[in-house]
Formats: sequence, C-alpha cells, structure tokens
Amino acid sequence: MKVYDGSQTEQESVGQPERKKVGIAEYAVTTDEAVLTTSGLGSCIGVALYDPDSNTAGLVHVMLPRHDDGEGARAKFADTGVEVLLEEMERAGARRRSMEAKIAGGSDMLDFSENGSSIGSRNAAIVRETLAANDVPILGEDVGGDYGRSLRLEAATGDLIVKSASQGTATL
Amino acid sequence: MKVDIQSLGTFNQLAHEGAEQATQSLAQMTGIDAVVDVTKITLLNRDDVGEELAGQDFVGVQFDFEGALDGDTVLVFESDSVGPITEALVPGGADGEMAQSSVEEIGNIMMSGFIDGWADYLGTTIEHSPPEYIEATGADVLPPAPTVADQPQVFVFKSQIEWVGESLNFYIYMLPEYDTLAELMTDHAEPGGDAIPIDKLSVFNEMTTSGTEQAAENVEMMTGIPTEAEVTQISFAPIEDVPKQVGDDTYVGTVVEFTGVPSGYLLVLFDEVSAQNVAEALMPTEPDGEGLTEQHKAAIEELGNIMTSGFVDGWANVLQTSVDHTPPQLVHDIGQAIVDPLAAQVGQHQEHSFIIESEMRTDEIEFSSEIHALPDEKELRQALAELEVDRADQTDADVEQIF
Repeated sequence: MKVYDGSQTEQESVGQPERKKVGIAEYAVTTDEAVLTTSGLGSCIGVALYDPDSNTAGLVHVMLPRHDDGEGARAKFADTGVEVLLEEMERAGARRRSMEAKIAGGSDMLDFSENGSSIGSRNAAIVRETLAANDVPILGEDVGGDYGRSLRLEAATGDLIVKSASQGTATL
Repeated sequence: MKVDIQSLGTFNQLAHEGAEQATQSLAQMTGIDAVVDVTKITLLNRDDVGEELAGQDFVGVQFDFEGALDGDTVLVFESDSVGPITEALVPGGADGEMAQSSVEEIGNIMMSGFIDGWADYLGTTIEHSPPEYIEATGADVLPPAPTVADQPQVFVFKSQIEWVGESLNFYIYMLPEYDTLAELMTDHAEPGGDAIPIDKLSVFNEMTTSGTEQAAENVEMMTGIPTEAEVTQISFAPIEDVPKQVGDDTYVGTVVEFTGVPSGYLLVLFDEVSAQNVAEALMPTEPDGEGLTEQHKAAIEELGNIMTSGFVDGWANVLQTSVDHTPPQLVHDIGQAIVDPLAAQVGQHQEHSFIIESEMRTDEIEFSSEIHALPDEKELRQALAELEVDRADQTDADVEQIF
C-alpha cells in the first residue's frame, strides 16, 4: 500500500501565492499571504478585513441582511457574517484594534419596487453598522450601482481588487 | 412516494457533505485544491440525465452500491485532468495503465468517503463494489439511469467540484434506485409535514416542458430559426447555491417577477454570442456598430418578453390559474451576479429553493438559451396540492392568445 504524507504532492510553484475561493455564505482567513477570491456579487456583499500588524486577512461573502430574519450559516447574513469573520481573524492572531475593512457589492441591479428598499442597500447598511459597532474603520468601498462584481483580496498587501463586467477593474 | 421539504433538504445536505468528504480525501492524497461548487437534487427525464456533459471527453470511476440505498454512483473527471492527477500521484508523470490506476485509486478513496458519509448519517451500512474505470464522451460516462415502471423521471444527486486555479471540473453523480430512495425519503419525512407527491412534481416538470416548447415556438415564429426545447428539470438546492447554477460567464437576458400562485422570478438568459446572433435574426437591417448595440438589447428584451409569456402561459393553463408577470428588465452581467439578487429575494422567506431550468437550442446558428424560474416554495406546494394530475395534457398554449 502506498502512503501519502503530502511530501511528494507539492503543487504550489515558488512565488505563486495560494488561491482560496470563497463561495456565497462562506468565509476564509489567511495568515500566509494567500489570495482570497469571491465572484458574482450582485446584491451580496464581500467584506474584506486586513490586519497589517499580524498580516492576517479574511473575506466573507454575505447574502442577506440579518440572521434573525432567516436560517442558515452565520456567514450567510451581513450582521453575523461580519462577526464570524472578526472572530476568525482574532483566532488567527489579528487584533481588532488594528483591523481595517474594505467592502464591495450590494448593487441594485433589479428594481422590483413593491419590496421596499433593496436587499443590496440593506446588506450594505447592516455591514457598515456591524463594522462601526466593532470599531473597525472602512478604508475603501465600492458599493451600490446596477452591476455585478468579483473580488480578489491580496493578503500580502490588503489590496482588494474589484472587477466588474461593465466598469473594468479598481483597486481599493 | 411523497417527499417533504425537510427530507429534500436533508438529502441535499448529505450529498453535499459526501462530496466535501470526497474532495478532502482528494486534497489529502494529491495536494489538489478543490472546492464543491454546487450540490443539487434534480428530478428529470431519465433520457436527459447527463445532458450537461455533452460534447466533452471524460474519464470516470463507477461503483454500484447496495444496502439502505441501492444504485450507481460515478465520479467523473474531465479528460484533461488525468495528466495533472497522475502527476500529483506519480511525480514525473505516467501514462497508459499507470494513469488509469491513478484515477482508479483516487476515485476509490474519494467515493469511499462519499458513500461512508451517507451510511454514517443513515446509521446503516451501504456496501460498494470495487471501482470500474470508464472512458467516454458526454453522458455515456454515466451508468444508465434506473428504470421504474410508469415513471419516466428519475432523481439524480449531482455535485460539481472545481479544481481551483486549473479551471477543471469533477462531478459526482448518484443515481439511486427508486424504491429504496422512496423508502428512505418516507422514513425521513416529517409526519404531516410539507409533503409533495412525486407524481405531481413530475407533472409539474411536464408542464414546464410544454412551457419551454411554447417559448421555443415563439422564438421560431419571431426569428424564422427552427428552435428546439431541450432538457427541462426541477432541482432543489440551498438558497446560497442557487446563483452558482449559472456561473461566471457574462450573460444577456431578461428578468421578470411573476405573481399568482406560485409567485417568483423568471430569467431568460443568453450567452453573449447567442444574444448577438438571435438579436440580429430579428433586426430588419444590419446593426450600427460592433458588439451588443442598443438595437440588439431592444431585440433581446422583446424576445425575453415573448419567451416569458410562452413559458408562464404553459404553467397557467395546467394550474388553471392566472400567472401574471412584470415587464421584462434587461440584464447584461456576470451570470451569478444576475441570479444573486433574485435568490436573495426568495431567500428572505425560505432556506432552500426549487429551481426550474430549461434550455432551447437551434442547429442553424450558434444559439442557446436558458430559462430559470425561482418560485416561492410554499406557493409552489400549494399550487401542486391543488393540481389535478390529469390536467397535464391541457398545456397547449394558444399562440393566438399570446400575440
């Protein structure tokens, strides 16, 4: 029988940071300069946290405003999603007082007006509220509009690269 | 057989965890970084199983399993992944038998994880056969779907796994025998819960098929291009998996909200090439300018409207109710970002969603279109409860009524 201990399976080529994909209602935290990505944000929001002191970075992809309004993983909702990411960042060695946030997404692509204010703008409001309650400043944001976005968080620098089909690429 | 929402949710979760387990085994063995993208349960015609694999070459590892659940399961790799997989196991690479045995070995470990996950949850044993290696094109890589008397439709559990950074995909298909699945689902159903008889879900599928045929006829009438309705299926997945059904490519199309019982959202999507081709078929003159012009978009909006009407009328006829819809809103964006706000709307009231999907194609020009509907789950159940099964044949929407 062969034994696999991982030593013969090194896939990463030198100099190429590891890439981790974050799905909807998921989060990831890295301390080893990985690149965290998430794609296809419509009314969803991507919240990126970065602690330059400990070089810790994390990204969560939230879908709905408040956990009280539904069931499912904490990372699915704006309020508990931000909280779970803060906790996981701390567990990985980051300190809350040196954390910085960047946020993107929350667009209003579709207008079905009888539903009151859009989910995108409510998501954004709750993300801002929860970050403020935890004293984490928002250093950059690309929120709203009527187009989708994909994100790439470079944990080596804390840069959040926002790409959209119609607006090109921006770095926060 | 009846299924309730609870047991559909549980079984979906099982399939998802099994796929996660299998993916972790793969990562441990090879260092391959892969993530489970989507897991869903689909009810569809047995002839349509694996339609989405058409035209691609695959290798697979197939197992029979029996016990609390009987059937076949297969792990499917895109052929291009065989090289990297072999390389991961045998540095320096290998070909022929060596490559085959690498795939078998990985398949064996992954699928043991998958099946053990189910058995653990069910608190019982499921035995599986040794792996059988398969090479085939398209749906031929899958075992024949089980046959059941008087039941042309089958349940398929399907997970899509993405190899991060390699743009390669793996798939796990599980095709359970109807009887053992029915028994298990009944055992896991909540007494007096939200049960839906399977025959009604099947009828609903048939009516969606006729809605799609109607939509295809409308396209043909407007464009003069012979258009065929293809696969129609109804799936069930957690709400956060719904946007992933469409993926990261850019699409053009229309979105409407429909009201009535059920209410919900309906999307007509074209890939950019299809959108351009079909729009030009509608234009009296050559477009002004390159790419997707405003003329193209106006044509797509009109087409989306006609397709939506055809589709929704197919439902309304069977349900003998009126289903109205808002004027179409044009969308042109990353597929997943288009679906995301709709899934979020539906997700405010429910944790899982039914997804109705159908496709149409033409042979004449490169053109394909997808229709996705997200109905409110409670209202869909109510509509099905009121549905008389023998009404399914009354779906011939009258073209004259639409125009």
